[in-house]
Amino acid sequence: MLLSMDRVTSYYGKTPILKDFSFGVEEGKCLCVLGRNGVGKTTLMRTIMGLTDRSVGEITIEGQDIASSPTHLRARLGIGYVPQGRGILSEFTVRENILLGTFARHDGRPEIPEVCLQMFPYLKANLDRRAGLLSGGQKQQLAIARGLAVDPKILLLDEPTEGIQPNIVHEIGETLLTLNRKLGITLLLTEQHIRVARRLGDAFLMVDNGRVVASGPMAELTDDVIHKYLTI
Amino acid sequence: MAVGSFFTSFDLSAFINALILGISIASIWLIAALGLTIIYGAVGVINMAHGEFIMLGAYSSYMLQSFLGLPFLLCVPASFLIVVAVGLILERGLIRYLYKRPLDTLLATFGVSLVLMQGVRLIFGSDPKYLAVPPIFSSNIQFAFVNISVFRVVVLLVTIAVVVALWALFYRTRFGVQVRAVMQDKEMAASFGVNADRVYMLTFALGAGLAGLAGSLFGVLNIVLPTMGAAYVVQAFLVVVVGGGTLAGSVAAGGATGELQSIFAYFTNDTFARFVLFVMIVVFLRIRPQGLFAPSAKRR
Repeated sequence: MLLSMDRVTSYYGKTPILKDFSFGVEEGKCLCVLGRNGVGKTTLMRTIMGLTDRSVGEITIEGQDIASSPTHLRARLGIGYVPQGRGILSEFTVRENILLGTFARHDGRPEIPEVCLQMFPYLKANLDRRAGLLSGGQKQQLAIARGLAVDPKILLLDEPTEGIQPNIVHEIGETLLTLNRKLGITLLLTEQHIRVARRLGDAFLMVDNGRVVASGPMAELTDDVIHKYLTI
Repeated sequence: MAVGSFFTSFDLSAFINALILGISIASIWLIAALGLTIIYGAVGVINMAHGEFIMLGAYSSYMLQSFLGLPFLLCVPASFLIVVAVGLILERGLIRYLYKRPLDTLLATFGVSLVLMQGVRLIFGSDPKYLAVPPIFSSNIQFAFVNISVFRVVVLLVTIAVVVALWALFYRTRFGVQVRAVMQDKEMAASFGVNADRVYMLTFALGAGLAGLAGSLFGVLNIVLPTMGAAYVVQAFLVVVVGGGTLAGSVAAGGATGELQSIFAYFTNDTFARFVLFVMIVVFLRIRPQGLFAPSAKRR
């Protein structure tokens, strides 16, 4: 397992949001986390990054327990984070946003990796544009490019297609497919679009009320499971 | 005062002198405010002990000069380093536990300011100390009808140098990118490997050191007293608030307020000028409470 959680409970204040949560992602695979709004998907991502108030249980990356490490050290172990809402620093230029990712590189090289620019020609042409001026889809590309600048072993993508116009949703799906299949980057993503999830994911994790309620290879994601946990 | 008397008494050469004095006042207020700007802007702490950091800088120079016989020009950077160390100890020992409680940092730094002031008073007494400078610094420059003291020019040059150095640090170095990233979004910065804790520590220490540097200069402009910080800290806060807590904002605000002070003082007197300036700042902040150049930070 590249990344795994073992009976993790994660808190905001005194309220547990993630409860007794266990899962694992194998290297090179793509795991899709599914569930309705408010069941704890974003909290799962934030728990891995160490951004919740407190968590108990074991979180390991390549066998190393990171549960008590501060956020910046977790990032440096090779986690690229693409948060919900994208977390673009709007005062920074596109270039500075991508460079932010390089602080988490294990080799510490302060340059924009070629792959970031190859994948996203728009960013390459607008490196000195202020990031606050980009559209939603462009910001999402930037967030992914910044995650790639970490030279990550695993990318955590929190709702990468949320709030993005339908024709771009497909494009971002294809980008993620390339990252996973061609570049071998492990993906852990939360996704609302079942179609995208089915195309990308090797396995799924269904979350409800802060717990894992179903999991398995993507082929086992039946319409019954979807109906039970996703339809409102 | 009748309006007419303004014009009858108007004297161009004296007015130009007032404008030049305004630049000098601006540079003094600005260098007093730089440390405060950085600590407020980057760390988000309103440092009530800023005036006492200035005072510590002056006393550091005084000690180095009278006990070690260090020349004044070396006292300035040495005072910077000494107050950097004080800032470092304070941040590690106290401030870092309070980042999530901004109101408490206000009280804590106010407490620290009292401790520092009384501590210095206990050690050095309440009588004024003086800093000696090379004779050339205490002379005046006379150029046509323009007349200004050499030391005020030195303060101006130091201020310019420090502003340029800070700009380069924040906008041309990797450390600067880290600081600005933490300012905008601490969580995202940390998520990309930036050690926000360390950034806060270093920035706080740098801000303290800048106050110390200012203090060692102010010790020459004025006498060195345990209470001297209070004389500068009000202006420093004004500059930071009007500027919005950014470097560019403080430069603009320091320049504008210093120059206005000098111009009003030319037409009336120092006290009245300060009164008018404060009223103007209150009106300005009513219209633009975020200051001149405010960052759109969301911070922690």
